[in-house]
Amino acid sequence: MAVCSRGLDKFATSLRFCRKLQLHNERLLSTSVCRPAADSEPPKFVPPSKPVIVDKTQTVASLRKFLSPEFVPPRQRTDPFKFFLERKDMIRRRKMLNIPEFYVGSILAVSMADPNASGKTNCFVGICIQRGGKGLGATFVLRNIINNQGVEICYELYSPRIQKIEVLKLEKRLDENLMYLRDALPEYSTVDPEMKPVPFSPTGEVPVNLIKVRMRPKPWSKRWERPKFNIQGIRFDLCMTPRQIEGAQKHAQPWLEYDMLKEYDTTKLEQQILKEVQQEMSK
Amino acid sequence: MMATWGCRFLLQRGAQLISRAAAESPVQLLGCIRTVKTTTGFEEHLTEDNQKYMRNLMAEEYRSQTAERLNPLKDEPWPRHEWTEGSRRVGLVAVKLGMAPIWTKTGERHPVTLLQVQDCHVLRYLPKEEFDGRSAALVVGGKNVSPFYRTEKEMEMFRNAGVPPKQKVTIFKVSDNAIIKPGTPLYAAHFRPGQYVDVTAKSIGKGFQGVMKRWGFKGQPASHGQTKTHRRPGASGPGGDPAKVFKGKKMPGRMGNTYITAHGLKIWRVNTKYNVLYVHGTVPGHRNCVLKVRDTVLPSRHSTVLSPPFPTYFTEEEGDLDEDLFDENLFIHTEPSLTLT
Repeated sequence: MAVCSRGLDKFATSLRFCRKLQLHNERLLSTSVCRPAADSEPPKFVPPSKPVIVDKTQTVASLRKFLSPEFVPPRQRTDPFKFFLERKDMIRRRKMLNIPEFYVGSILAVSMADPNASGKTNCFVGICIQRGGKGLGATFVLRNIINNQGVEICYELYSPRIQKIEVLKLEKRLDENLMYLRDALPEYSTVDPEMKPVPFSPTGEVPVNLIKVRMRPKPWSKRWERPKFNIQGIRFDLCMTPRQIEGAQKHAQPWLEYDMLKEYDTTKLEQQILKEVQQEMSK
Repeated sequence: MMATWGCRFLLQRGAQLISRAAAESPVQLLGCIRTVKTTTGFEEHLTEDNQKYMRNLMAEEYRSQTAERLNPLKDEPWPRHEWTEGSRRVGLVAVKLGMAPIWTKTGERHPVTLLQVQDCHVLRYLPKEEFDGRSAALVVGGKNVSPFYRTEKEMEMFRNAGVPPKQKVTIFKVSDNAIIKPGTPLYAAHFRPGQYVDVTAKSIGKGFQGVMKRWGFKGQPASHGQTKTHRRPGASGPGGDPAKVFKGKKMPGRMGNTYITAHGLKIWRVNTKYNVLYVHGTVPGHRNCVLKVRDTVLPSRHSTVLSPPFPTYFTEEEGDLDEDLFDENLFIHTEPSLTLT
């Protein structure tokens, strides 16, 4: 009797324990592993519950942690509250229009509302040569060569006339500012208007195009060889003599990199703003 | 005020000095000796702990004061009258935050200045007789500051109104049916989108400036033989007939740091939660400067159609306004992109 009761007790507790385990494990792991051997009837096939934990709180795009440069406030004596108000408006606009991540050197296609165009929209494809402005007035300049004529259009990111911004090819270049393409050979600024978007995985690293561009003969619109512009993407050896290159280095200001008053460390600000923006965008 | 060296005129010895120095020049008559003023800043005679305690105490006091004043209608307000033709209402004191772009529903872009109304209170009522004999006036103050650097006389006015001391104190001429009890807070919702306002502020000081920057003179050419004359005023008037330079001749001098009014600025948007006004175009003054905002004087921009709150906006009454009030032509960012037809 004692043995039976003990056995029954054990059976009961073990059943309870197994049921608890079952319930617990059904939520996370498959149950087939913890099926108790004490059950008399043959184990029914229970399809395993999802084995993989999918983190649905983060969308794939935000996993990359990219903060658009116009969110970072400039170094001014403005009240940070003003940037906060602007950021709210920027986020509201971003919820309506998807502004993708892009860098200077990527190829974009932009369609904008235009009262003078047929169908009221016009579309332009080009390579991004500059991203300027902060806050709601942020702009980017697209360049392309159409019928042997160089065309640059400056678009405002948050303008309501822009209907779609699509990144056809996402890549970075050696410089932040590609204005020297105006003085480069036209083949470097030509972009096929019917280009198909190049597939790109959102979790990979952004590819850097190490191309060095050949220039037209001097004179150029700006003296790109001077160290003030710090251009890495031009083949100076083909267009200038070593003596000219040396002469350009005379205009260097090597003390500038040690100037403490010019330091503006934005890492903490950026992290804070990135967190805020991601929170608001996911709402 | 810190202990300063002051000047006391020597009234007794003045006569002797005059007689002695009269021969040299009449200007150097005034003899001055240096004296020490007895007023000191609040920190000078306090220990550090006491200073901290004073600061915290004042801060708490002012927080409780502002909290009390949030319900002006429950506080035995003065009787409110209806709007009539030709009545003028109060304005506000705001702080210039910065500028931003704004787009209309047709896709046009306009620059806009953000003005935030921070702690604006009515301080005093000056009836017609006391003010100028023609119209009544209300003294309004904006933006709280610390009480430690204000004189007793100024503090008296703030104490009577039951309000922390303000950085800017202005007078608004007001018609008799729009007077408000001192101590009432004023909010940005006092103005509505579509209304026009005048903004007065001190322009940015440029210091002593030459005639080209100050008055827009053309100057002289840079080359072709000009000897040391590129930015000078040139001639100063006609010749021998008047044989003098007229008063008010435009010449170099101190420029800026004067009160300038920008008239007829449209209000595009009002944020009632943070008390921010979005005002068209540019406004005099630097960022974070305190300005005076009032209804336009221009006859072609009267706001009769809009019926703004008269005498002012009371939170309890009209209570639940939306967080953002927009002008009808303004493009709101929560709408989809424009398709122009």
